Amino acid sequence: MIESIALILASSLRLATPLMFAGLGEYMAEKAGMINISIEGMMLAGAFSAILGATVTGSPVLGLVFGILAGVLIAFVHATFSYRLTVNTYVIGLTLNLLVLGLTSFLLDALDLGSAQLSKFEIPLLSDLPIVGQAVFNQRWPAYLLWILIPAVWFVMYRTRWGLDMRAIGENPSAVDATGIDVLKRQRQGLLIAGAFAGLGGAYLSVAEVGLFNQNMTAARGYVVIAAVIFGGWTIKGTIAGCLLFGAADAMRLALPALGFTFNAQLLIASPYILALVAMVVFARRSRAPAAYGQPFVRGLA
Amino acid sequence: MSTQPTGAPAHSAGAPASVELRGITKRYGSIVACDDVSLSVSRGEIHGLLGQNGAGKSTLVKILIGLAQRDAGEILLDGRSVEIPDPLAASTLGIAMVHQHFSLVNELSVWENVTLGEVGRPDAQRTRELVRSIGARYGLDVDPDARVEDLSTGERQRVEIIKCLRRDPSLLILDEPTSVLTLAESRELFTVLRRVAQDEGKTVILISHKLDEILTATDHVTIMRSGRVVAQRVTAETDERELAREMVGRELSKWVAASALGDLDALVDPSLSSDPAMLAPVEPIHEDEFPFRLRITDAYASRDGRPLLQGLSLDLRAGEILGLAGVEGNGQQALGDLLSSLIELDSGTVEMDDVVLPTGKPGAMHRAGIGVIPEDRHQSGCVLDMSVAENLVMSTVGSVARRGFVSRKAIRANAERLIEQFEISTPSPDTPMRQLSGGNQQKVVLARELSLNPKVLVAAYPTRGLDVGAIEYMTERLHDAANSGIAVLLISTELEEILTLSHHIAVIHRGAIVGQMRRVDVDAERLGLMMGGQEA
Repeated sequence: MIESIALILASSLRLATPLMFAGLGEYMAEKAGMINISIEGMMLAGAFSAILGATVTGSPVLGLVFGILAGVLIAFVHATFSYRLTVNTYVIGLTLNLLVLGLTSFLLDALDLGSAQLSKFEIPLLSDLPIVGQAVFNQRWPAYLLWILIPAVWFVMYRTRWGLDMRAIGENPSAVDATGIDVLKRQRQGLLIAGAFAGLGGAYLSVAEVGLFNQNMTAARGYVVIAAVIFGGWTIKGTIAGCLLFGAADAMRLALPALGFTFNAQLLIASPYILALVAMVVFARRSRAPAAYGQPFVRGLA
Repeated sequence: MSTQPTGAPAHSAGAPASVELRGITKRYGSIVACDDVSLSVSRGEIHGLLGQNGAGKSTLVKILIGLAQRDAGEILLDGRSVEIPDPLAASTLGIAMVHQHFSLVNELSVWENVTLGEVGRPDAQRTRELVRSIGARYGLDVDPDARVEDLSTGERQRVEIIKCLRRDPSLLILDEPTSVLTLAESRELFTVLRRVAQDEGKTVILISHKLDEILTATDHVTIMRSGRVVAQRVTAETDERELAREMVGRELSKWVAASALGDLDALVDPSLSSDPAMLAPVEPIHEDEFPFRLRITDAYASRDGRPLLQGLSLDLRAGEILGLAGVEGNGQQALGDLLSSLIELDSGTVEMDDVVLPTGKPGAMHRAGIGVIPEDRHQSGCVLDMSVAENLVMSTVGSVARRGFVSRKAIRANAERLIEQFEISTPSPDTPMRQLSGGNQQKVVLARELSLNPKVLVAAYPTRGLDVGAIEYMTERLHDAANSGIAVLLISTELEEILTLSHHIAVIHRGAIVGQMRRVDVDAERLGLMMGGQEA
């Protein structure tokens, strides 16, 4: 029994890791009032490019870098259209998601992609702890980056001028504009960073967790990340909790048949999404969205 | 207000003016917003910019702070010609502005707002001390760690001013700064401005449409009308009457003067209260003569955990105008929303003729006979891209439709009838609303609401942003509506408008009615205290 719990825990954390990477970026973007719909495309492009990069260069580490760059590339396209040319962000985001899905599916058939996987790193002593030891302290090494990135994101948002600008933009972009800050530029920067995080998340999924790329590998995990930020009440804590929750639900899906429960297969596939959504609604704190959430910024005071 | 301008500096011939505008012209399409505007302000002077809505004051100021670009003319600061392409350039040149609607970020703390827009790592400790020291120097007391959303409007304005002064500007511009303040807060503000101008040698431009404010606070005044400068005066050598005449270009009825010019006669001169002409429209009505129409009892409402209404109770009688006075943001909007069925009450009741109405149920208030002229006619008053005729039937589609199909003929007939009855000036009933002037758009809204024969009419800021002619029209129609037996709730922040039109006056503060009195019993001092939230 304890063994099963340890296994489910390990699998939860493993499945939640890509979401947490993407979630940190999405959190920053949403704090600045942006709903980064193309995060799904960023993650999928990241996952694909990571395997592509690893196949071409023979190095999974470089694959990870490829993945991040792919996320940034999608973000750049999105940012240029939506936060320079002011095309509706939802239209661009959804278009990009469909484009990336089609393109990666096509390229997967056209190219001969191999498999590549980053190594695990076991932290001595700590990994011997009961139950949590293996789950937390014996992961693919990029997972440990989260220990640095989570506080780093907090520091950037709450202790630097850039973070202050971003938070203010999410609340009252006109006021920020009036103080002489280029709002759209800040939003473009925020989106590029979100792209890097989402790309990293996608790359982790393919090149660390699975070692392969499958068609539509992210399977709407990008949208789950958006949900995690929203139900997490636009806090880092909440976002991470939401991602872990979905990871746990996903892990249960894999574990239940192994534990001897049988379900309708389709229902089983849908279950983590349903479970995560229900739980997020139940646990969602009464929280307030950034005041300018999802509204495009148009210059000039009313 | 008692403080007289002291030591008004004269325009000295030698030193160049702190700010000089020469022949500034700005066109928006075919409309000339500013037409060859020239003015000059010396250092240490408070200069008033007076004009009605749409006179071109705002455009002129936008040009000065880099939010709009001039088509012709020259801007000189201390004798040097300058270009101001964006707000950043303006701030580098030492121009700062306190906006009419604060440009503060509510979620952030005071010090975070103050440091916003600077460079380098935000230094909390240094900024906090700065807020305190500026506060002490100018008498602008505010807690640097408070969240802006927890502050009163007066305190928010202090933050806004600190934010400007913090950059040590040579020119400070204030756009209608008292529209959100109580009388006492306004007085404090003018004291601060005097200190800024006199002790610190800064130049202040005060934009206003209120005469008494200009007379109290400024040294010189420039009066604008339809984009042009029509007069420039030394404030001490002019009076209300002259300013009003220059500003409007004609004599006005008492009612309109109150709404359009913020004439405080009625407030400061007790002898006028017995003036029969003054009181003619607001004869006290006998309490028992008219039945209660609308009764709101102990209403509580909130949004996102923040209270909007906190035990508001209000009775409205048929045939009377009840003026709701109060500083903006004290629950007026929530009350309007409640009577438009836009929000639901947490507790309390709304009764019409002793029947309890469901709150927050779309259309319920409307069906019960409550017509609303909303606060923002562009956002919730009408659909700008639909035609006048369509807007006129917006809330009565049932009357022009059969079996789910609308009759174009009936819509047109209805439109033609109302256009004539309400003197709406439009090229045709099919003209899009967008092409009408603000006054005519407001007439469409009024016509639509009155065509339903409502029992209650809620008019939220009915004259805001309108020109004098339209204000005249609106005030008369509201008065007529009350005479015809409609219970009118007039929500406004223009105290003078309320005083001239209302039979009864209620004061709203923090989502509750803190006092109610008959117009004839009004005592300005007491009213001011109540608007500031003190039981009086």
